[in-house]
Amino acid sequence: MRYDLQRERVISVREYAIRRLRGERFPTQTMWPIRDVSFTVQAGETFGIVGRNGAGKSTLLKVIAGIVPPTLGRVQVRGQLSPLLELGAGFDTELTGRENVQLYGTLLGLRRKHLRERIDAIADFAEVTPFIDVPLKNYSSGMIARLAFAIATDADPDILIVDEVLSVGDAPFQRKCEERLARFRARGVTVLLVTHSLTLLKETCTRALLLDPDAPIVIGSAADIAERYAARTGG
Amino acid sequence: MSSPTLTAGVYDRTPPVWRGPGALGRYFDLLHTLVTRAIKQRYKRSILGFAWTMLNPLITMVILTVVFSRVFGGLVPNYPLFVIIGLLAWNLFSLGSTQGLASIVDSGSLIRKVAVPKEMFPLAAVGANLVNFLLSLVPLLFVLVFMRVGITWAVLWVPYGVLLIGLFTLGVALALGTMNVFFRDVRYFYEAGLLAWFYGTPIFYPIDVLSERARAVLQWNPLYVLVEVFRTPIYAGVAPSAGTIVTATVEAIAMAILGWLIFRRYHTRFVDFI
Repeated sequence: MRYDLQRERVISVREYAIRRLRGERFPTQTMWPIRDVSFTVQAGETFGIVGRNGAGKSTLLKVIAGIVPPTLGRVQVRGQLSPLLELGAGFDTELTGRENVQLYGTLLGLRRKHLRERIDAIADFAEVTPFIDVPLKNYSSGMIARLAFAIATDADPDILIVDEVLSVGDAPFQRKCEERLARFRARGVTVLLVTHSLTLLKETCTRALLLDPDAPIVIGSAADIAERYAARTGG
Repeated sequence: MSSPTLTAGVYDRTPPVWRGPGALGRYFDLLHTLVTRAIKQRYKRSILGFAWTMLNPLITMVILTVVFSRVFGGLVPNYPLFVIIGLLAWNLFSLGSTQGLASIVDSGSLIRKVAVPKEMFPLAAVGANLVNFLLSLVPLLFVLVFMRVGITWAVLWVPYGVLLIGLFTLGVALALGTMNVFFRDVRYFYEAGLLAWFYGTPIFYPIDVLSERARAVLQWNPLYVLVEVFRTPIYAGVAPSAGTIVTATVEAIAMAILGWLIFRRYHTRFVDFI
């Protein structure tokens, strides 16, 4: 995965033409948020991904989820993948909760019929049943996050990508989320978990991957990776 | 719970949800949702709501008739009918293409955060305008009844004309929408250019008023034949000429393919520029 820094800037036709006429070359400063990362996760495994901020964890997950195409290399996925990334990114605050279940659900690839059948269960899990026909702009941020989590985990996936979303909502809701994840794991769902919590890592993951921009990646048992990560961060 | 669809795959572009078995159904469900949302958004907080879709062409028709019937009325019988048919076709194209063009950039936050097929946004924009177009056939019927113009079997050509205009519109939206991701000026250029395009298309004037030279130039305006395929069966009650049908078909399909090729060539890079 390579990022082209120059690409990040939107330039106008005018600017482009002027630069071309002046014979300026476009500076292509490049950086690779993640590079040479190869690993295989077994079915049913809970696999942890740790690393400091900016180590490329989210980028890696986005590549796996198919949001960002890799510059080089490829991703091989077997089974239905449900990314709990950027929860609620597809929400439209002008629409009601019910309409947003439909919108966000279909964006994730769920069927309309399935969502209509599941709407009550989703609203119930998110604890927003009385407000399901109220526009989302009147929801609290906690309610929005809960609704997003409820939809995304309703997909009955084979693979779940979890990016720090367990910090959604208050303590009782967090417990519910953890229970739901535990049920998924018990059912044999493969989980990719990004976390900063070494306790969670050691408790839930079998193996883990340590991302570090200045060093090659390390893959090992969760306990081993937790130790290395703690050592590197001076913790 | 519905059972998960098992999709296996190696990919660097399209994630498995949008490929493989069952993907088509998911695709249409998302399209359906986005089209519904676009229509809802358009009429939110307006008292007349959907009635605007029907009133709008009528109002424009009245204005154009008042302004131009002196000039063109003598040449064109049932001038208001002539105008409204052309207007409906034009609105489908101009609204569909401008909204489709803008839709990719406007959906930027989604494209950066959700693994969604990006062609969905221009498709939904054109789709929403097709639905609106169908609603605006109601005022057209009013005008037909009011002016006591009957319809003939030639009207069976109308759906085909609409299909061609839709394809052409989609092609323009995909091509310009792709360019707009890299150069945001495209949208403004196009919106300005549309005005010229409107005057350069025989919507409110008959082609006969143009000089020989102007008509020769007009041959290069793809919208002219596309509008004709839609207008002739209703206005004149006869099938469009074979030449018109062939030209319109070729143009619409060529534009759709061109737009799709341009889009496919660059769509994986959108995420870096949006």
